[in-house]
Amino acid sequence: MAAPNSLILATAEHLARFAPFDSMAKEHLIWLAERLKLAYYGKGEVLLSPDHGDVKRFYIIKQGAVQVEQTETGGAWLELHEGESFPLGALLGGRTTVSSFKALTDVFTYELDKADFHALLKLSPAFQDFCTRRIATLLERSQRSVQARYATSTAEQQSLRSPLSSIARRKPITCSPDTPLRQALETIQENTISAIVVVEGEDRPVGVFTVRDLISRVILPGTDLNTPMREVMTPNPVSLAPTAHAFEAAMLMARHGFRHVLVADGDRLTGVISEKDLFSLQRVGVTQISASIRGAANLDTLVKAAEDIRRLGHNMMAQGVAAEQLTQILSTLNDILTQRIIELECSATQDCRHAFCWLAFGSEGRLEQTLSTDQDNGIIFTVPEGETADQARACLLPLAERINRALDACGFPLCKGEIMAMNPKWCLSLDEWKATFARWIDAGDPESLLNASIFFDFRPLLGQEKLAEELQAWLLAKTTTTPRFLHQMAANALRNRPPLGLVRDFVVDGEGDQANTLDLKLNGTTPFVDAARVLALATGVAATGTAARLRGAGPKLNIPESEVEAWLSSFFFIQMLRLNGQHEEMEAGKPMDNRIDPDQLNDLDRRILKESFRQARKVQARLALDYKV
Amino acid sequence: MGLFDRFFGRRVELDPAARQRLETWRARPEPGLSDDFRATRLVVVDVETTGLDLARDRLIAIGACAVENGQVVMADSFEIVLRQDKTSTKDNILIHGIGGEAQRDGLEPAEALLRFLDFLGKSPLVAFHVTFDQTMIKKAVKEYLGFEFKHPWLDLAYVMPGLLPEHARRYRALDDWSGHFRINNFARHSALADALATAQLFLCALPLAEAKRSTCYRNLQDLEKAQRWISWEN
Repeated sequence: MAAPNSLILATAEHLARFAPFDSMAKEHLIWLAERLKLAYYGKGEVLLSPDHGDVKRFYIIKQGAVQVEQTETGGAWLELHEGESFPLGALLGGRTTVSSFKALTDVFTYELDKADFHALLKLSPAFQDFCTRRIATLLERSQRSVQARYATSTAEQQSLRSPLSSIARRKPITCSPDTPLRQALETIQENTISAIVVVEGEDRPVGVFTVRDLISRVILPGTDLNTPMREVMTPNPVSLAPTAHAFEAAMLMARHGFRHVLVADGDRLTGVISEKDLFSLQRVGVTQISASIRGAANLDTLVKAAEDIRRLGHNMMAQGVAAEQLTQILSTLNDILTQRIIELECSATQDCRHAFCWLAFGSEGRLEQTLSTDQDNGIIFTVPEGETADQARACLLPLAERINRALDACGFPLCKGEIMAMNPKWCLSLDEWKATFARWIDAGDPESLLNASIFFDFRPLLGQEKLAEELQAWLLAKTTTTPRFLHQMAANALRNRPPLGLVRDFVVDGEGDQANTLDLKLNGTTPFVDAARVLALATGVAATGTAARLRGAGPKLNIPESEVEAWLSSFFFIQMLRLNGQHEEMEAGKPMDNRIDPDQLNDLDRRILKESFRQARKVQARLALDYKV
Repeated sequence: MGLFDRFFGRRVELDPAARQRLETWRARPEPGLSDDFRATRLVVVDVETTGLDLARDRLIAIGACAVENGQVVMADSFEIVLRQDKTSTKDNILIHGIGGEAQRDGLEPAEALLRFLDFLGKSPLVAFHVTFDQTMIKKAVKEYLGFEFKHPWLDLAYVMPGLLPEHARRYRALDDWSGHFRINNFARHSALADALATAQLFLCALPLAEAKRSTCYRNLQDLEKAQRWISWEN
């Protein structure tokens, strides 16, 4: 073939400004450009719809805007612009499209015949990768650019994500439950290890014994060295799967103060991870901070630790740590901090003879705290014999207020909506919580639904966790059998629609400094969070985190795993943008919020954000379908 | 002897191969001007010249792209630079960007024009301000191939005001109409880029024409004729 003329070259150059064409080889772009046809659609004209039968062409927008409508519900759900292409799913699956594509303005499209589309898939790996993995591909590229921006080593980041199987390479040292204590201690000394795992049968771990247990369990009680290990070991050890990530082990250690975590494939022990193995996590500071919190004797130390947590969050942000891990690490450390505050306040007072449990609500309840977060908490208590709930409450409220104020001193501002344990409305007995929840579920008015969206994400933080578990079980039994309430929750969630695009009809609001900005929380993450809550309450999933809820509810509703993961990738991408925005605001000395100016994003991030909004609309479409809203 | 022969005062001697190609082209069947445009091939053309004087200025480059079945077929496009013995002035070069060297390196004009005819076939032509493109191409064909290039032409400069009379007074140039439909030009004043912009304008015209029950080239020619009368009255 002759050398390409200026039109073919200009077309290839034009395409190369957009993903995925920007990562394709030049000769493949020329190959593509030579096979394109240019078509025009007047404003309002339908380019493609399910009525057109099997999709015959691949469309790339040269100029103009195309609105994608969901045929079933008739709702617009996405806008496509210059450089964006469609319909990938239908072409790959060889079926008709489920959406219809309408010209929102005068539109010119480049069009490629189906056979050429499939030839291009074979020809260009970059194109194939994009078409089959789409959001995953975009996200990987965005993360690479985040890391490049901060120009730091990605070693930390990678080790955070490395599977435990790659860290725990040593074969664990074990003994049986019948092994005498003396023999186990000899084994520990010979191997210069600090812990031994007690196993039964085919390496099934049943207990752990560490050198730290020596003082309390052997030396001080004067235990006979012939005692079998089953009597001195810590039974029911916590284990993680070999596929779990290093950071999960670090979280487990931080949360419970363990120094060892077992790695088990099903019932079979495959390794032991010690604090030392998580070297890079120590560098990041997770373990130091959690240790200093545990050892804190007064509020001043905790205030400093809280600053450390925030600094850690910003450092991890700068290193490009993924949002899922970052929010979990922050929430875990904040949990430990809160727990220590409660312990210190309880020991300084006499009024905690009442059995109670501290509850976290909202983003803290979901383990999704960002860098800027205020308090959402409450108390659940049991009423002692011969006392009324009001009497018990009167004893607990002063304690709650001290805890709330201490949290405030640590940088968690008092909740403007007064959702705090010091508020008598949210310091309730188990029966009172049940009555309150039942009232909301039965009333279904806007205020009740709003309350449900905050309080139903509750999680026990410290104290009588059984109270919270009982409330959780009661709540799920009630919601799973109250379809009317779920329907109202779904309808309420669908009132908040993600924006269609980033140019036109883009939900930029706010005034003054906030003009032309977008609220990533309200428009971005909330649709996922709300949908996850409804689906979890409907299927009896007790988890409170958005990811855990969707992963738990997905299989029960026959939602393909790939779909759930695409939703979650999008959810965490928006979380990452929120964190990133807060990080930059802090660096610039501005107050932190959830707003960003979409014009400030790079092309790739803007593109992924749009794709994420599309996923948010898919989650909502699922809700709409399930609840016929 | 026609007017042009007298004007140039010479006969063109083509080599046998070139003559054969010309004859083959002339023998090709004439296009059906009443066929639906959604089922025919049309060629949109634009030229670059040494200046705007129809009598004295010469053809430098031709850009063309085919509209087939209502779509621009990107690969079915054409651009060629005619070799110039004397390059155009600096001001002129600044307009189309074809420098002196490129002009001298262009294709021998008879060969360039034969290739254009091969590309064109007998497809009807479309341009914006036809008089200019038509005259320049005709002159060159006469000078280098020695025959009268008679071909159907359609002028969008008249068709568009006919289709959108509400804009007729304000819009005159190709840029005006391109702006109206937000047509981007990848390289204004390059013959092929301008041909593509014109072709895109033609695509925009098709649904408007169909709304007025104009479904073929001849219908649009009639519209053009009528519009010329209106313009005359203005």
